[in-house]
Amino acid sequence: MPQEVNEEHGGTLLHLREESMRALHASERVVGRSFHDARLTASLVIGLLLVGFLLVAQWRGNDTVTQSLEGQSDQDLAIIIQEITVENVSLRDEVMRLQARVLDAERDTASRTEVLNEATRELNALRLIAGLEVATGPGIIVEIGDPDRVLLPQDFVALIHELRTGGAEAIAVNGVRLDARSGFGGGNGRVSVEGRSFSKVYEVEAIGLPSDLEQALTLPGGIRTTLTTFPGVTVEIKVSDSVTVPAKEAPVLVYGEAIQ
Amino acid sequence: MGVLVLALALGVTLGLLTDIGVPPEMLTYVGVAVLAALDSCTGGVRASLEETFTDKAFVFGFLTNMLMAGFIVFVGDRIGVSELYLAAVVAFGVRVFDNLGVVRALLFKRRGWE
Repeated sequence: MPQEVNEEHGGTLLHLREESMRALHASERVVGRSFHDARLTASLVIGLLLVGFLLVAQWRGNDTVTQSLEGQSDQDLAIIIQEITVENVSLRDEVMRLQARVLDAERDTASRTEVLNEATRELNALRLIAGLEVATGPGIIVEIGDPDRVLLPQDFVALIHELRTGGAEAIAVNGVRLDARSGFGGGNGRVSVEGRSFSKVYEVEAIGLPSDLEQALTLPGGIRTTLTTFPGVTVEIKVSDSVTVPAKEAPVLVYGEAIQ
Repeated sequence: MGVLVLALALGVTLGLLTDIGVPPEMLTYVGVAVLAALDSCTGGVRASLEETFTDKAFVFGFLTNMLMAGFIVFVGDRIGVSELYLAAVVAFGVRVFDNLGVVRALLFKRRGWE
């Protein structure tokens, strides 16, 4: 009986063992397959990663080549060269044109500057003549003594006239600058000019070539001779390298108007 | 399958991020090598669907395909037939389409669309 039981028992065990072995194999197969699947996926993933990366790199490299000259065909290059040559020629023309314009402009500026300088010189001369500027330069100083008050305004008119004839550019009497409108007046032994009157001692300063000025006054029978014939009158002429004549205020013209 | 598409996208992203461009003189080499790699990958997918895939074969095929592609271009350049790379391009192109066709057919069959 126990033998039978044992046999029966052994059959069940065998059956169980086979069953479990089969289950084990099955699970091993499943593990193996999933391992296999993982390796498959991993290698494919790596391969595709590489493909994607290379694709982008290739794309970039291709883009730069098509943009650069190396990627152009000979025909395209010839066309490009031709286009650039034409452009070059036109640019050269433009450079020439612009250079000519620069030269023109420079000439223009130069002539304008010259005109301006000329105008400035003229203006300065005019201001000097008009007595608006302090003038300094070589000239003479005429000192006239008249203790007896015998000199008349017309004597000074004659004196100034002689100085102007001698080339005087600027004249002042006792520090009063004379201009084109100055006139002498007075009486009773006084001489007035530009609203100021003087007597007895006069100092006339004139700028010009000193020798000419001196000669204009000292000619035989000239103004000095005439003046010194009056009683007590003395005339002394001093030559100086630097005579300074003061300026006067700009005149206000009421009636005269320049015709343009 | 989704993982593979993701991997391709990741590769493209990596390429965009690293800002690497293939130098002009290497363009044909890398171009043919890319085609070879693409061929290997589609072949790998096909083999996995046909359940004949082994990773060793895949890796080996992948590398030798790329190297052979480069070698063909090199030889073509050397012997003055630089158009030889076209042969590789045509061969790999045909294989890629072939593989894709089989993959598509297998996928359809698996999902019962046919």
